[in-house]
Order: sequence, then structure tokens, then C-alpha cells
Amino acid sequence: MRLILLALVVLAFPTFANSNTESIAEEEMSAKAWLESMSQALQTKQYKSSIIQLQADHIRPLVYLHGTVNDKEVAFLEYLNGPPKNAVRVADTVTFIEHDQPAYSINAPRIQGVWPTIFATDVSSLEQGYQFVLGGRSRIAGRPGQMIRIIPVDDNRFMSQVWIDMDTRLPLRYDMVNQEKQLIEQMMVIELLELNEPAKILIEAEKQGLPPVMNPAERIKGQNWEFSWLPAGFHMVVKDHHRLIGSDESVEYIALSDGLVNISVYVARMGDSPMPDELITRNGLSMVVEQVGNVEVVAVGKVPAETLNRIAKSLILK
Amino acid sequence: MLKSGQEWVSSAVDGEVDAKTLAELSADENSHKQWQNYHMIGDAMRGELPQTIDLDLTANIAAAIELEPAIIAPQTETTSTHDAKVATTETKKDNVVPFFKQFGQYAIAATVAMVAIVGVQNYGQDQNADSPLPVLNTRPLVGTASPVSLQTGAVQNQSSVSNDNVVEQRRRINSYIQDHMLQQRLNSGVVVQHNDAIEQNVNK
Repeated sequence: MRLILLALVVLAFPTFANSNTESIAEEEMSAKAWLESMSQALQTKQYKSSIIQLQADHIRPLVYLHGTVNDKEVAFLEYLNGPPKNAVRVADTVTFIEHDQPAYSINAPRIQGVWPTIFATDVSSLEQGYQFVLGGRSRIAGRPGQMIRIIPVDDNRFMSQVWIDMDTRLPLRYDMVNQEKQLIEQMMVIELLELNEPAKILIEAEKQGLPPVMNPAERIKGQNWEFSWLPAGFHMVVKDHHRLIGSDESVEYIALSDGLVNISVYVARMGDSPMPDELITRNGLSMVVEQVGNVEVVAVGKVPAETLNRIAKSLILK
Repeated sequence: MLKSGQEWVSSAVDGEVDAKTLAELSADENSHKQWQNYHMIGDAMRGELPQTIDLDLTANIAAAIELEPAIIAPQTETTSTHDAKVATTETKKDNVVPFFKQFGQYAIAATVAMVAIVGVQNYGQDQNADSPLPVLNTRPLVGTASPVSLQTGAVQNQSSVSNDNVVEQRRRINSYIQDHMLQQRLNSGVVVQHNDAIEQNVNK
């Protein structure tokens, strides 16, 4: 009798489970699926987001518009407080229009400074360094949001959380928190409007003749630097030789990125004044100075200082 | 006693009793109320009532005396040479004490305010030079070359450096941080080229 019952249960369960999986798939998407649909929405939807950006003791309000004009993605970012600062993106060209310098264009897939660029490009490449975990739901900007945690696989970087609008799949909030769960940075939408046609300013921006793109080939090739150790997921993006902004110091420069976080490593002749070994800004940006002979290796990035220290120490010249 | 008592209170009010009766009356608390009433009636009839009638002046005065703080002479430096002088000026000092008490309160309030101001000044200085953790002036970060999102919070410095070098050090730190910010902007479009080489290194 028991055997028969057991057999019945065994037979009944798989069918039961099968019939349910399809409906679950719609309601309970995986964390990665959420991120991918966000990436899709960021590229294809036409929308206007009013956002506040929180960084240490700074609060900055900004407006971000996105749409499609003549089959080209056009986006506009405006900082609402202080001297005017705008950025326009038409397809792969981003032009920065600021009050204190002539407008300039660069080649970039997104306007840097709103949502992390990776959110709208290849989210799955983050998997080398992070795990995606489905979190709870909460209401942001009057919309229901699904939270996704982006948890680092090691202690070498900070954790992020993103809330995705369940309706439009656009990001509503992005937090970066340190190991003590203190907020480093936050972007929060306060109003999100989905538009049926591109905003007027985007149509105008597409028509405008924007300054030509600065040629990245102008970069002077740097030395053949390598790292004996890098946190999982980090890779070299750029190596070059240039002069630091606002000073005549020429440096060897290496850019590292894991998709979400960027780290800069500089190699320079030691200055007359000693540099601090370690430095942490209140918005999570750390800086580490490692002295090797009469040369200093400076690493800067939004990761724990220990990570920078290890990276700076593992630099080798081939 | 009561009935007749009222009568002699009345006559006492009119000033028709001798000193001995008056002394008796003042000893008898029960008749004080009568005494007061008779005076009140008399005043009313003569049209001498004050604007505000304090019905129990005596009690008020008694209460006020009760509340009066005991006057304590300040503890002067009791060196033997001063003792005699203190003794002679004791009475004068008694009058002065309440005034000084008040003054003392003002003085304390003023001191608190001074401390507050000094505290604020110290706090401000701490950030500049004296503290081992000076908060760097990050103005330059928002300077000419700063791209859209390049404002950062104040920088904390974990080494103590002599004043002369601080400015130069800040300048260098700021130029590194600014450059890092700008590079992020410039590099965002760069396609990753060295990925494979690094991967190998990481796997080693």
C-alpha cells in the first residue's frame, strides 16, 4: 500500500512541477534576466528620468532623456544645479557641453555619469566578478521596483544594488555600498516618464553639428606593463603615456576595469613632496601610493584601499 | 473670647487700645483676619483702596521671606592677615552677594558662548592644518577639466605632512584624481584589447 502511494507521489510530482514552471518563468525571472531586460529597455525605450545623485555630502539633481531619432539612439543629460553642464549622445558619439571649456566629443556607447555604462551594454560580462541575486520589491518614484543585488565574488570591490521598474524595466535606483553596508553612492529616480515619441530636444540634438570626435590614436603608446595579480573579472582597458591634468607631470597610465568599477594605475617619477600612502575620499574613491625606488605607483579607484594596494604591488614591467 | 475679641480688634484698628492689648492681639493669629478686614473696610470708606487689592499682604510677605535664599557670605581666602578685615566688612558684603550671584550667572553664560566660539574656530582649524587627518580642499576637482560627473567629496589624508608640502601634495593628489575621472570618460568607448593576456596572468 505504502509503495503504491509512494509511486503515485513520484509520478504525480514531476507533472505537477512541469505545469507550474511556465507560469513561474513569467512571474519569477532570474536576477540575470531582470538585468538583461533592463539593458534592453535602456537602449530601446523612449523616456525621461528625473534623477537625484547622492555622493557623500553632495546631492545633484539631473535629468536624463533618451529616445530614437532617425534610427539613432539619442540621449541628453543635464545637471540642473550650478553652472550648466550637459552631455549629448548621438549613436556612439558623446559630446560634453560645459560652461568653462569648449565642447568636445568622444567615442562612447553611453553618457558616463548616469547609470553605469555596463547596465546598457553587456550585463552578462559582469558575471566574472559578480553574482546576481534577486532581492525584494519596493516602491520607488511611485512605481513598483524589483531589487537585484550585484554581489562581488571577493572582498576586492563594493556591492551594488539596482532597483528595476517592473513595468518599463528601466532602472529606478542604484546604490553602491561598502563592506560596512554604508552608502557610497546612490542614483535615485524621482520621476520616470515613458514617452511615445522622442523629446524635442533630442530631435534638435540629432540635427546639430557636433564637434568631431577626439582621436584616441593620439595617445602615445605606453610601456609594456603587466600585472601579476588582478581581482577576478578585472582586465586592462588602456595603456598609454600622457601628462596629468593640471600639471606637467608625465605619467605611464594603465586603466583597469571589471565592467562596473574602473581603476587607474599611474607610474610617475617621485615628486618633491612625499605622497600619502593611502587616501580615502568620502564617496568611496580610494588612492594608494606605492614607492619603488625613485618611482611611485599610484592606484585610484572606487574599491577598498587594500585592493589598490595589492594591484599596485603586483605591477611588473615586461 | 471670640465675640469680645472682635470688639477689641475693632478698637485696636481704631487705635483705641493700649500697647499691652495690641501685643496680645498680635499674638492671636485668629484675629489677624479680622484686623485685616477692619482695615480694609476703613480704607474703603475713606476711599484709600489701592488699585490692586492684595487681600493677604502679610501672608505674601511671610511667604516671600520664607523663599528668600539664605544669604551666605562668599568663602574668601581666609589667610590670617585678612581675617580681621573680613569681620569688619561682613555686613557690607551681605548686601553685595545677591548682585554678584546674578553677575556670576551672566559670566557663566558668556563663558559658555566663548567656549562655543572657540570650539567652532578650533574645528575649522582642525580641517586645515593641525589635525593628522586634514580634509583636503577639493575645489580643484570641480575645476576646469572636470567632466560632467566629476565632483567628489572631500579627501581625507592619512599621513601628517609638514605645512609647506601640503599644498604641493594636494595639488598632486587632485591632479591624479582628476585624471582618473577624465580617463573614465575617455576610456568608456575603448574596446578591450588586452583581455586575453591579462586573463592568462590572472589564471597563473
